Amino acid sequence: MKIAVCVKQVVTREWPLRVDDTRTWVQDRDASFEMNEPDAYALEEALRLKEQHGGEVVVCSAGPARVAQVIREALARGADRAIRVESDALAAADSGMVAEALAAAIRDEAFDLVLTGLQSDDQGFAQTGVVLAELLGIPHATIIMEVQVADGGLRVKRELEGGWFQWVSMRSPALLTIQSGINQLRYATLRGIMAAKKKEVRVVEPPADLAPHHEILELYVPEKGKQTRLIEGSPAEAAKELVRVLREEARVI
Amino acid sequence: MERDTLEVDVLIVGGGPAGLSAALRLAALQRRDGGEPLAVAVLEKSRQSGSHMLSGAVLDPSALDELLPDWKTRGAPVETLVRDERIYYLTERSQLRSPYTPPGLRNHGNYIISLNRFVRWLSEQAEADGADIFTGFAGTEVLYEGDRVVGVRTGDRGIDKHGERKGTFEPGVDIKAAVTIFADGVRGNLTKTLIRKLGLDGPTPQTYAIGIKELWEIPPDRVPPGRVVHTMGYPLRNEEFGGGFIYALPKGRLALGFVVGLDYRDPLFDPHMAFQRFKQHPLVSAMLAGGQMTRYGAKALPEGGWHAIPRCHVDGALIIGDAAGFMNSMRLKGIHLAMKSGICAADTAFDAVRAGDVSVSKLATFQRLVNGGSLRRELYPVRNVHQAFGAGLFAGGACFVLAPLTGGWWPRGLLSNEAGHERMTRLARYYRTERPDPDDASNAVKVDRTVTFDKLTNVHYSGTRHDEDQPVHLLVADTDVCRTRCREEYGNPCVRFCPAHVYEMVDDGTGNGRRLQINASNCVHCKTCDIMDPYQIIDWVPPEGGGGPEYEGM
Repeated sequence: MKIAVCVKQVVTREWPLRVDDTRTWVQDRDASFEMNEPDAYALEEALRLKEQHGGEVVVCSAGPARVAQVIREALARGADRAIRVESDALAAADSGMVAEALAAAIRDEAFDLVLTGLQSDDQGFAQTGVVLAELLGIPHATIIMEVQVADGGLRVKRELEGGWFQWVSMRSPALLTIQSGINQLRYATLRGIMAAKKKEVRVVEPPADLAPHHEILELYVPEKGKQTRLIEGSPAEAAKELVRVLREEARVI
Repeated sequence: MERDTLEVDVLIVGGGPAGLSAALRLAALQRRDGGEPLAVAVLEKSRQSGSHMLSGAVLDPSALDELLPDWKTRGAPVETLVRDERIYYLTERSQLRSPYTPPGLRNHGNYIISLNRFVRWLSEQAEADGADIFTGFAGTEVLYEGDRVVGVRTGDRGIDKHGERKGTFEPGVDIKAAVTIFADGVRGNLTKTLIRKLGLDGPTPQTYAIGIKELWEIPPDRVPPGRVVHTMGYPLRNEEFGGGFIYALPKGRLALGFVVGLDYRDPLFDPHMAFQRFKQHPLVSAMLAGGQMTRYGAKALPEGGWHAIPRCHVDGALIIGDAAGFMNSMRLKGIHLAMKSGICAADTAFDAVRAGDVSVSKLATFQRLVNGGSLRRELYPVRNVHQAFGAGLFAGGACFVLAPLTGGWWPRGLLSNEAGHERMTRLARYYRTERPDPDDASNAVKVDRTVTFDKLTNVHYSGTRHDEDQPVHLLVADTDVCRTRCREEYGNPCVRFCPAHVYEMVDDGTGNGRRLQINASNCVHCKTCDIMDPYQIIDWVPPEGGGGPEYEGM
């Protein structure tokens, strides 16, 4: 099975976020970066599928030169080769733009399966995979918790709301967006790191007509609102009312 | 258990300025001499190169000039020349500017750098030169054959907090090398065991300091880039050794920090609190007003000087950089000495590997290179300064100022010769009739979260991260001591000297006692606890590789 895994490089979760001078993105001049978390699970799933069914895992990423970091990490963990779409314009690009850049780079390779993370830790649109599937003209399924390969097609488990799951059968080639936590991530090994240096990384330019599909107007830190409300009554009544408020008004439980 | 073995010619443990300089020099020697290429591997516990690097930092470029003469065209992140220097003596509310800059503190020709950026760049250069740089791998054990060092074992990964293997378990690897170069930094966990096992201690015990640092962004026109400020005095008393530093980078970036000798007497002293007081001083708070703290970190530094350097060559191995103590506490500089020691180690190791003789007598070349070159020339004349400071600020100051005249000589009897933790005094002796409550926070600095911060907020800005489900990496031999003897005798100083809120004395549930809680995932790998614990029962061992701070831009 020939599998593509699309990974994104994002600012590390530990980075104290601040809005930059343009007020449309975070200050990432001094940030440290890492692989988007759901993408790491997508990569792990691809490596496991390859171990079971043979084939090849190709890691793909679109962004400025710095994304070479996550490509190397993926190669060290066991991906066979890489495709990197390089452009500074892809640094904080929208899902449509990233999907177009990736589609142009991988279309000719005719992958049997394309995996992406469910969503990115920074923008969180959960759209890149879906749009990419559409551009490649292949079916997709989202929020995948388990992948089974069955005679010429796939059986996949989707996560629904409220603890429900759904099994879907689909033909391949297909694209799946992978939920975090569906497997256990392996460590890069010393031999993996040494081997990664010798693996092929194809660097391509994005299509010339690549343009944003949306514009971020403003980015801001949520304003802290302080509202205190006292719930009167006996402890039993107050507790009941508190649960009602938390469930129906605050909608946090 | 199946354990992989990797064989290399030279293994360098620690990817800091010392280790990477050794790797780069080995590559240069290879280019010069040709022949079968040496396999060189660098082990580094941080996730990415440079992540655990913390220093002021003012760089004396002499070793860089020697190592990579074309560093400017290679794009080294070494750009901000020191243009202006000031030394102040602080009192609580005012400051006195020194009209005189002692030669040791003159920084003409030096650069203000981010050590994190610099080391990452060194690592890229070394990698391009063919070295294998393994980030995210900690060396946890020295491998011996008899007394000969034959390599290092990396830590097992994928162990849960109860010590059981997780599904992702990956056993550590034995890396065998003809020569192992230990560059594991100040109080390196492997160098520590090597020195003990082989009895390598120098004539005087190593002494240390802790440096706490923040990066700030302030209005860009407030402090001119290239300004270097050092302070003495407040908030320290005569009995404490140390001071503050403020280095101005371009675009309103300010590196500031505070260094305190880890040989203070008062068990209730808190270095982090001293740093907050320093920031509240009018001289400093005026610079910080309206700015924003963007990064935090802490690291110990070796200050013992020449006489505290251990024997650095043994069968099969060398010790370099901060691990050995190549640091000039009079100039407040060690990066160039670390690099220089890396160069000497590479010269030694290259010849030894090529000659097929890695015995202690062959590796003694290192000692000759150190003695015959800039390392001794720089460190020997100031050999007594820090020890003299141990006898008090004025003795130390006199020795410091007179060093250029006396050649560093100082009456032996006036030197302090204790390990730092031995100087910490019991509460009853230090406070005599007073009975201070160690938990009393009434004297604490008020945290305003604009200029002053509590340790937990600061830790967040260190970017430190560890997998929570792993064994605690701070091994306390006997936690009973904490709640009984130490509580009584010293009032649990770990709670104060740790700059990352790792140690906490919490209610033990009985209602009348406390027990030690170790918040290991806060650890910023500064090593202060391993150094300063008065009972010496804390052993800092590396957590799972990849864990630790993320000192981007520091």
